[in-house]
Amino acid sequence: MNIKMLIYILGKVLLLEGALMLLPIGCGSFYGEKELIVYAILAAAYMLAGFLISLKKPKNMTVFIKDGCVATALSWLVLSIAGCIPFILTGEIPSFTDAMFETASGFTTTGASILNNVEGLSHTSLLWRSLTHWIGGMGVLVFLLAVVPMTGGSNMNLMRAESPGPTVGKIVPKVRSTAKMLYYIYLAITVIEIIILYACGMPFFDSVCSAFGTAGTGGFGIKNDSFTSYAPHLQWIVAVFMLLFGANFNFYYYVTTRQGAKALKMSEVKVYLAVAAVATAIISVSIYGMYGSIEASVRHALFQVATCMTTTGFATTDFDLWPALAKFVLVALMFIGACASSTGGGIKISRFQIMFKSIKRELESYIHPRTVKKIHLDGKSVETDVERSVALYFFIYLIVFVTSMLIVALEGHDLETVFTSVTATLNNIGPGLSLVGPTRNYSFFSDLSKWVLIFDMLAGRLELIPILVFLNPFTYKGIIKKAPKIQG
Amino acid sequence: MISFGKRGLKIIVVGAGKVGDTLVNRLAEEGHDLVIIDKNVDRLTELANLCDCMGVIGNGASHEVLEEAGVSNADLFIAVTESDELNLLCCTIAKQFNKKLSTIARVRNPDYGKEIPYLRSKLSLEMIINPEYEAAVEAARLLYLPAAILINSFAHGAAEIVKIKIPEGSVLDGKTVAYLGSNYTNDILIVGVERGEEVTIPNGSFELKSGDIISFAATRKNCHAFLKSIGFQTNSVKSSIIIGGGKSAFYLADQLIKSGIDVKIIEKDPKRCDELAELLPKATIINGDGINEALLEETGIRDVGSVVAMTGIDEENIMLSLFARQISKGIKSVTKINKISFTDVINRLDLGSVIYPKQITAEAIITYARAKQAGIGSNVEVMYHLFDERAEAIEFKVKEPSSVTNKKLKELSLKPNTLVSCINRSGKITIPTGNDSIEVGDSVMIVTKNKGFTALTDILK
Repeated sequence: MNIKMLIYILGKVLLLEGALMLLPIGCGSFYGEKELIVYAILAAAYMLAGFLISLKKPKNMTVFIKDGCVATALSWLVLSIAGCIPFILTGEIPSFTDAMFETASGFTTTGASILNNVEGLSHTSLLWRSLTHWIGGMGVLVFLLAVVPMTGGSNMNLMRAESPGPTVGKIVPKVRSTAKMLYYIYLAITVIEIIILYACGMPFFDSVCSAFGTAGTGGFGIKNDSFTSYAPHLQWIVAVFMLLFGANFNFYYYVTTRQGAKALKMSEVKVYLAVAAVATAIISVSIYGMYGSIEASVRHALFQVATCMTTTGFATTDFDLWPALAKFVLVALMFIGACASSTGGGIKISRFQIMFKSIKRELESYIHPRTVKKIHLDGKSVETDVERSVALYFFIYLIVFVTSMLIVALEGHDLETVFTSVTATLNNIGPGLSLVGPTRNYSFFSDLSKWVLIFDMLAGRLELIPILVFLNPFTYKGIIKKAPKIQG
Repeated sequence: MISFGKRGLKIIVVGAGKVGDTLVNRLAEEGHDLVIIDKNVDRLTELANLCDCMGVIGNGASHEVLEEAGVSNADLFIAVTESDELNLLCCTIAKQFNKKLSTIARVRNPDYGKEIPYLRSKLSLEMIINPEYEAAVEAARLLYLPAAILINSFAHGAAEIVKIKIPEGSVLDGKTVAYLGSNYTNDILIVGVERGEEVTIPNGSFELKSGDIISFAATRKNCHAFLKSIGFQTNSVKSSIIIGGGKSAFYLADQLIKSGIDVKIIEKDPKRCDELAELLPKATIINGDGINEALLEETGIRDVGSVVAMTGIDEENIMLSLFARQISKGIKSVTKINKISFTDVINRLDLGSVIYPKQITAEAIITYARAKQAGIGSNVEVMYHLFDERAEAIEFKVKEPSSVTNKKLKELSLKPNTLVSCINRSGKITIPTGNDSIEVGDSVMIVTKNKGFTALTDILK
């Protein structure tokens, strides 16, 4: 394993985190809050430490897929730990576990909170909390690849470990240009959202935080009631932007580079929108009785569908009170998740597409046992390797899910709470149902359960494999060098 | 990724074989945007994992595949698949998309040998490369001057960089570079010394030792005189055994016979032997497996002046050269390595000269890409890698006055590990000293450990 390179990457991550803290510092000085001192000191400390650590460029910059996984997992851990310290030092979230939960929830774009009173936080910390969503959404290593020139072709292994989806391709030949392109698109849509929200009457600070929350499909609100108290037209805007950020970013690349034909060919985006539309229709009908007006029921249905499917986790209403059918559809959407190569979580539409096609082929093989058939997606055949890894992904997902539920269940809460808390964290959504419903929070869990859920958030964001490779002792076999034996 | 501060070219390479691999790796290092087309998914994935490029699966001559690879806004198109005809077809079709596209095809079948200029102009190809032929030229050069381990020629053959190993008890042992200049000759310039793993671009006080491998720049005439003065043989070999009768063996035998060297070719395949016998009436063609001690003895490997191992299997070539050098002291051996990449191991073996056809091809194309990247002002003429890619020798044509022209060399502050090793002024080659200067119209050869030079002014700090 290339330990020098790992340290170099971690140094850069720390440097980047320090630099990102400048934004809340600016905000703090605008509002004249004393919390900014903590942020200023930490930013300086992180940047200095990061600078010193990554001062020496390793000679060998090769990153194998194994190193990529470990680097990604470690980066996210370091990011979360370094990111939670300001909450502890400002005394806003005094417990380490809670602060870690909140920050991990931020970076993994989960949006599950342990705060009883969000509005009690300083503006500085609120902005930092939302900013973690924005960075976590597209990925910090992708950001690093975009801004730091890294040598060698193997940096694709870093991107692959961090980006969501069954296969990760480049949209342009160079990793760096690909990463840059993704961030340009990401930044552009975020800025557009901020402008639209502000122009439609949302306060500027709220617009920025909401846009960050939507862009990363995170879901930290800056109000205790999330989005309930905002005007209906603002809810419409946010619902649409949530859906936009949940779509495959290659779609936007094709649109901006005027390859419209390719964009229209992307079946994943089509399926994604179709599923959202059907779900919205079912829920609208089922909740019509509660709201009475068509506009309100469609708005609430669409907003909640968008929030669950893109795994954002905002809420405009307490959907825990909805009828069972509507609630079930939402939970189902939480598992399906958004598109690959988006900022959303969940299992991802394209995995479902591949699996359904595999099932179809399997059934057909009973009719014509000797038939040879390849699965096609967007006119390209899917390699058997990809198919296999998708099938395994489902199984690993199940194991992680059940194990987490078992541990969380030890506390003795009702099944709905246990089930949806794991669902909401492993799929990076945020709110679940019952005790973890949209108007409540995660503060009542024991520390053990919180750590399990923190693990679920990280595992879910990095799509299981990197975290499992990171935790697998075999990964480190032979790293500690023994004294060479003298050969005869 | 070395960044030039310039935009990399958008290059499409068809064929992820031996040459394709090397080429893609090297071009990626130079910072170009690369798209590779190949039918073989596994080879593509492997390549895309190793270096920063994008793979497109499919046939490089297909319209749709080319479109997906983005041929319409590409700058350079290189076809290096196994088949000559496919390469030519790919280039022709790619050219239909984009008239400004420069195309390079690999064509190696001797059938087309005489038609290269015709093909080039009719299909408007920028360059046709023939690694087998180039390898043969390099091998022949080494047989004409057996003392050298490696010869790269510059200034259209007028100047050379020659690599030799200082033998035990040589007059050079323990002498400084400055002593060499004042006592032997001022017409040569040592541009690099390899000692173990270290590569140095030496200054005057550098002390040479036996066992060092030195590279020096000189005109061809001076080179011979210098080698003679330090006790080397400078006559060309009289006879040669070529083992393996492939395309490069044919090209090599053809050249050697023309310059009066006696050639024997050992080839396994009787059909190929027939063909060779027809094409090369003056050569002795022996049908048999080259990797057979008795056959080699029978062919007279103990008495021959040189042996060239050119079979299709690298391991066999290495064994053959080792065997030849073991049984016959002073034999000149040339080993062709196609595929294997354990350069460090190969360097440690006593193989004599080694030639790498894929490197020769890659170098020619990279030279072209650099020239293209630098645009019209560019003037990279030739580029070679020395010492396993740790240094480069680049020949520039000086077309216009700049900050390096008309100044004494000692007044220029060059980047570290950079040397102006040779100036060609209208055909007259000078090995420069501090008092010489570069003028417009010169061709200048630079040796440097820095990478990515595209213009002469890059040599300045």
